[in-house]
Amino acid sequence: MHIPDGILPITVSIAGYALTSGATWYSLKKINAQENPQESIPKAALLTAAFFVASWIHIPIPPTSVHLVLNGLLGVLLGYYAFPAILIGLFFQAVMFQHGGLTSLGVNAAMMGLPALFAYWIFQFRTKLNLTDSHFWTATFGFLGGAFGLGLAVLLSFTILVTTIPGNIDIATERTSITILTMAHIPLIILEGFLTSLVVVFLQRVKPDLLP
Amino acid sequence: MNKWKLIFILGFMTALISITPAFAHGAKIEYRINMSIEITASYDSGEPMAEAQVIIYAPNDLSNPWKTGTTDSEGRYSFIPDPLIPGTWDIQVRQAGHGDIIHIPVGEAINTSQSAGFSPFQTILMGVCVIWGFIGTALFFSRRKS
Repeated sequence: MHIPDGILPITVSIAGYALTSGATWYSLKKINAQENPQESIPKAALLTAAFFVASWIHIPIPPTSVHLVLNGLLGVLLGYYAFPAILIGLFFQAVMFQHGGLTSLGVNAAMMGLPALFAYWIFQFRTKLNLTDSHFWTATFGFLGGAFGLGLAVLLSFTILVTTIPGNIDIATERTSITILTMAHIPLIILEGFLTSLVVVFLQRVKPDLLP
Repeated sequence: MNKWKLIFILGFMTALISITPAFAHGAKIEYRINMSIEITASYDSGEPMAEAQVIIYAPNDLSNPWKTGTTDSEGRYSFIPDPLIPGTWDIQVRQAGHGDIIHIPVGEAINTSQSAGFSPFQTILMGVCVIWGFIGTALFFSRRKS
């Protein structure tokens, strides 16, 4: 999921940074437009910590293994805070554990952050359709947000990797292993959907004002 | 004439005898150090990178692969670098968009082994520090307004 240094051509890395700058600017503008922009920072900081740790939790799915991403969950719970939160989480993963990389930080942030915003918009349908009191609809939109957030990220990752295979390696083999890795994420997509759904229903019961 | 012939033959025989022991008892050992480099590639989960593609670049040509190969099921791959090309050999391992590149100096100063990464204790300590940073941020912004 995290693309490391030295995999992508420089043009893709630059495009990733450009996209990430734009999305960060847009998110910060939206955050600043809120009544009290600092109000959600504690929530965002704690979820950044969760995002940071999530990549250590490996789930074996033969023949490979995947790790939790939680970008959908962050999108659903944080709204526009999700993009900067993911960017910061990825930065620390890259500098501390070489999980991802600094040249690919822009690409990774766009790949996981933009779907997080998408997940937020999905979950916002709950408010727009006036379904905030229903546990069933909260769970459903939570599942959709979590699953689509990760699903879109996996799709983007697949597209980026498949279209940038360098000519010096065996293209067919690499394409097969990328496809296998992508397929292995399908159970994770469902799992993160359920996880997001559990978290939002729990918050709705105990502290509904934490939901956006 | 016969005398000269005899001397010639005797001289030749003497020469032959003096040489023969060298052929009969001399031992010769030639040596050449074929330093082979073995790499082991694994994911940070500890799982080996099995059947991953290996691309080796010699120090004198960094744009064209010197050799390519595939790791075994344990993520291992070994090769013998050309000793006539000293310098830093770059070995890239790649699978499904994941991978790394390692730089191995071959020549005068040789590191017999090298691994990138931290010990589990260091990793956990660093992780805890970062997490504490996030929690601290959360506590700072949720402090009671005075």
